[in-house]
Amino acid sequence: MSSNRYFKHQGPWSDAADPLMCTDTGDWRTKRPVVDKEKCIFCGFCAIYCPIGVMVMQGDTHFEADLDFCKGCGICAKECPKGAIIMISEGEFVS
Amino acid sequence: MAEKKKGRLTKVLDYLKHDDPFSKGVAFCPGCGLELLLRFIPRVLGNDIVITGTPSCSAPVLLGQNNQSWHTLSYFGTLMTGAAANATGLVRYYRKAGIDNTVVCFNGDGTANDIGFGNLSGAAERNEPFIYICYDNEGYMNTGIQKSGTTPFGATTTTTPYGTVSRGKNLRRMNLGLKMAMNKIPYTATATLSDLDDLARKLLKAKEAKERGFCFLHVFAPCPTGWGADPADTIEICRQAVKTNYFPLWEAENGRIRMTKTVKKPKPVNTYTKLMKKFNHMTEADHVILQDDVDYEYCLLGGLSVLEAECQLPVSVKDQGETS
Repeated sequence: MSSNRYFKHQGPWSDAADPLMCTDTGDWRTKRPVVDKEKCIFCGFCAIYCPIGVMVMQGDTHFEADLDFCKGCGICAKECPKGAIIMISEGEFVS
Repeated sequence: MAEKKKGRLTKVLDYLKHDDPFSKGVAFCPGCGLELLLRFIPRVLGNDIVITGTPSCSAPVLLGQNNQSWHTLSYFGTLMTGAAANATGLVRYYRKAGIDNTVVCFNGDGTANDIGFGNLSGAAERNEPFIYICYDNEGYMNTGIQKSGTTPFGATTTTTPYGTVSRGKNLRRMNLGLKMAMNKIPYTATATLSDLDDLARKLLKAKEAKERGFCFLHVFAPCPTGWGADPADTIEICRQAVKTNYFPLWEAENGRIRMTKTVKKPKPVNTYTKLMKKFNHMTEADHVILQDDVDYEYCLLGGLSVLEAECQLPVSVKDQGETS
C-alpha cells in the first residue's frame, strides 16, 4: 500500500503491514447527502471539496457518497452548482 | 443516462495524481478545512514526502495513536519551539545521504507565527531546502480556541471573550505571508481551499522551487468548531475571504510579489464576518476598524506588487535573487 521508496523498514514500535486505524465516522452523521442523478452534471466539485473524499465517481454519470464514512458536513450540497445534492435528516431513513 | 456530459470534470482532479495515503475514517471534525488540505497535499505532491509537524489539530492524526497510524506517510513529530529546526536536520541528513526527498513542515499558525517563529525565520535566513506549510485557522484550536497572532481584530476566542470588559481581540492580526516574503526566499505564496486549482499549482511550484531553497505556503483553513460556523460553509468562508480581500491570494518568487487572483469589486468585509459566530457582536464601528485593516494590508500588497513589476532592480540584486 505504501509507495514510500526511501524507508525499507519502520521503527520497532510499528508494523507497516498493520491495517490503518479507521474510525466509523459515518456514525456522526445527522444529515445524509442524497444525489439527484438527473440534475447531476458530473462536474466533480463535490468530490474535490469533500474534506474526507468520500464522493465516489459512479461510472461517468454521477457521484455518490460513501455513507460508511460521510460525516454529513453538507459541503457537497452547498458547493453543488446545480443543487443536485440535498441533505436529508437521518431520521427519515430509520425504518 | 448514457448520453451524459463527459469532459466537463473539474481540472482539479487532474492534479490529484497520487493515492490518498490516509484511511477513510479520520478523527477530524465534520467540515474541517485542515482535513481537506491534509488529504490534498500528498495527492498532489506524491506519497513519498516526509511530513514533520508539531502538536496541533493535525498531530493526533499524523502522529498516530498507540502503535498504529492513520496514514502511510513518513511523519516526524517535533515540539512547537523547534519545528523548522527539526526539518532542517532532516533535510541536511537527506543531503548527506544523497537522498532526493521532499520534506514538508506542516504546522498551524500558532507554531508558525508565535511559538516557532524564531526557527522559522532562521530556516528562511539559511535558505534550507524544504517546504513549510502553515494552515491558518486563526487561533490555537486544538487546545480550546485561544487567540494567536493571526486572530483578526474583534474575534471572540476563549482568551479574548465578548463581555462587559472585553469585546473580542482588540489587536490587529499579523500578516505572516508578507513577513516571510520580505526574507526574499525562493517561493512564498498564500492559498485557500476554495481555489484548489490555485493551491495545487502553488504546491507544485513550491516543490520545484525547493531545489533553490526555502519555500513557504500560507494556507487559509477555516475551523467550523472554533469559529462557530456551519460546517457546510467552510468553502464559502474561504471564497468570501478572497472576495473581500480579507485573505488575498498572491505569490512571491525571490521576494517579487505578484497577485494570482485580483478581485475587481471587493465586497465589504461584513459579507465575510456574518458567516460565523466569532464576529457576531461586532458593531459598525468595529467593522470600520477591521475594514481599514484589511484595506491597509491589501494596499500594501498591491503597492509592493506594482513596485516589484515597475522598479528596475540593480543587476547585481537581480542575479543574487535568482541564484540564491
